[in-house]
Amino acid sequence: MYLRDMSLRHFRNYESVDMTFKNGINILLGKNAQGKTSLLEAIYVLALARSHRTSSDRDLINWDATAAQVLGCVQKQSTSVPLELDLGKTGKRAKVNHLEQAKLSQYIGQLNVILFAPEDLSLVKGSPQVRRRFIDMEFGQMNSRYLYNLSQYRTILKQRNRYLKELRNHKQSDLVLLDVLSDQLAAFGAEIIFERLKLLKELEHWAAAVHKEISQGKERLTFKYVNPLEPEQLASTDSIYEGLKALFEQKREKELFQRTTLFGPHRDDLQFFVNDKNVSTFGSQGQQRTAALSVKLAEINLMKEETGEYPVLLLDDVLSELDDSRQTHLLTAIQDKVQTFLTTTSLSGVARQLIHDPKVFHIENGKLLE
Amino acid sequence: MQYPEPIAKLIDSYMKLPGIGSKTATRLAFYTLDMDEEDVNGFAKSLMSTKKDLTTCSICGNITEQDPCEICRDKTRDQSQVLVVEQVKDIMVMERMRDFHGLYHVLNGVLSPIEGKGPEDINIASLLKRLQVNKEIHEVIVATNATPEGEATAMYIARLVKPAGIKVTRLAHGLSVGSDIEYADEMTLSKAVQGRTEI
Repeated sequence: MYLRDMSLRHFRNYESVDMTFKNGINILLGKNAQGKTSLLEAIYVLALARSHRTSSDRDLINWDATAAQVLGCVQKQSTSVPLELDLGKTGKRAKVNHLEQAKLSQYIGQLNVILFAPEDLSLVKGSPQVRRRFIDMEFGQMNSRYLYNLSQYRTILKQRNRYLKELRNHKQSDLVLLDVLSDQLAAFGAEIIFERLKLLKELEHWAAAVHKEISQGKERLTFKYVNPLEPEQLASTDSIYEGLKALFEQKREKELFQRTTLFGPHRDDLQFFVNDKNVSTFGSQGQQRTAALSVKLAEINLMKEETGEYPVLLLDDVLSELDDSRQTHLLTAIQDKVQTFLTTTSLSGVARQLIHDPKVFHIENGKLLE
Repeated sequence: MQYPEPIAKLIDSYMKLPGIGSKTATRLAFYTLDMDEEDVNGFAKSLMSTKKDLTTCSICGNITEQDPCEICRDKTRDQSQVLVVEQVKDIMVMERMRDFHGLYHVLNGVLSPIEGKGPEDINIASLLKRLQVNKEIHEVIVATNATPEGEATAMYIARLVKPAGIKVTRLAHGLSVGSDIEYADEMTLSKAVQGRTEI
């Protein structure tokens, strides 16, 4: 799939802009603080109905306006789908093919994007939260069931945490309700963990291949999903469910003491190993970057497998962070397959000989200079 | 210029209703000014009487003029089934269906710790007491909404009631009648497949 065109109204520093893109490499060129990343952000918002930079939609709306609008047309293999997202003070409305969608989960997934920003290089080294967020964002795009389970899980988690607090403060005393909430949480948690394991296995397969190539066959990349359950308990959703329930049962006192839910997908982590050594502790900076890049490139292939279409790739100032051989790898991997948007302050830093005929947009102060 | 006091007060009163802001309230207030005195009197009387003449049924929690309510008094209804709903409004919906002839129980909310609603804050204790006293009841049908909170409430009731040997059932999830499969969302479809019935 690729994004054919996009229009912005009152989005960030863009008053009104209409642009047509190339199914290939699009370069967004401009000095600092002119709105390059805001354009990438707009594409991201069009795809996922939320920003990667801010959790408040208000920040996306131009300071002088009360509402913002992002419109775009996605070209898929046989059809084109117009998407529209209206961001207002009170909420957002999402339209697919001019029809308003009651649930955002029905909107998300129409346009698949993968964003690669400098902070993604810390995927390996950063906190577990970064990796969980990564897992949830990517898998949620591919699988609307995953997204649904996740949102239910989060609601119940909030209820359960609040209830643990109230039990501890003696405002409530009924342990049957805690059991019920544990049961519900374990059921949705099991679905999420099972789906994660399945998709991570596929992602690992692709990432290992990319990593092997970049390291010229010297390094073997593997994943490990870190979770308190025994390996044999992870075999099916039923056994995960039973396992989580048993944990909630055994560690009730501890959870009550800490007033929060200590087990479940919201506490799990993902670790990366190169030649059986944990990259985040034993890997060099270069290995960590290579691992992060491999995972990101693997996502492109996984998404193609899961959805039947290549996603749109957004590269926010990444090329300057990568050395020549990694740049070459990245660019050859995406060349002629994946529509790519990349931001840069100058064309000289980009390995131009590798980019065939890009479309260049000059950006200055929220406007396009042709 | 300010509005005269009676009109200002009326606008203020209308604004207390849900979904009504200052503009609508002003429009309604001026409309009231043009209404026949008789109609306005009737309106005022109905407002007063909702507070004065209505109480909640001591058995099921329904609103009623006379305690116990019409449904609880009606001995021709099936005394073995109790349908548990979240709100009084839901009873009216169920009654419109005309297919259920048992009794009701209104919870007046669902279990939601975030909103400060625990088991003691909704009418679960009165349901349990009712089941203890009334040995005729053999089935409790839980008709809470298909939200996480509605599900939690249903599961909670099941845990407490089942050990007493009373059957607990839950409304089915699935396709709405007369709709196209094409337009159903994936979760509804998946529930419909899970809850399929043999023909």
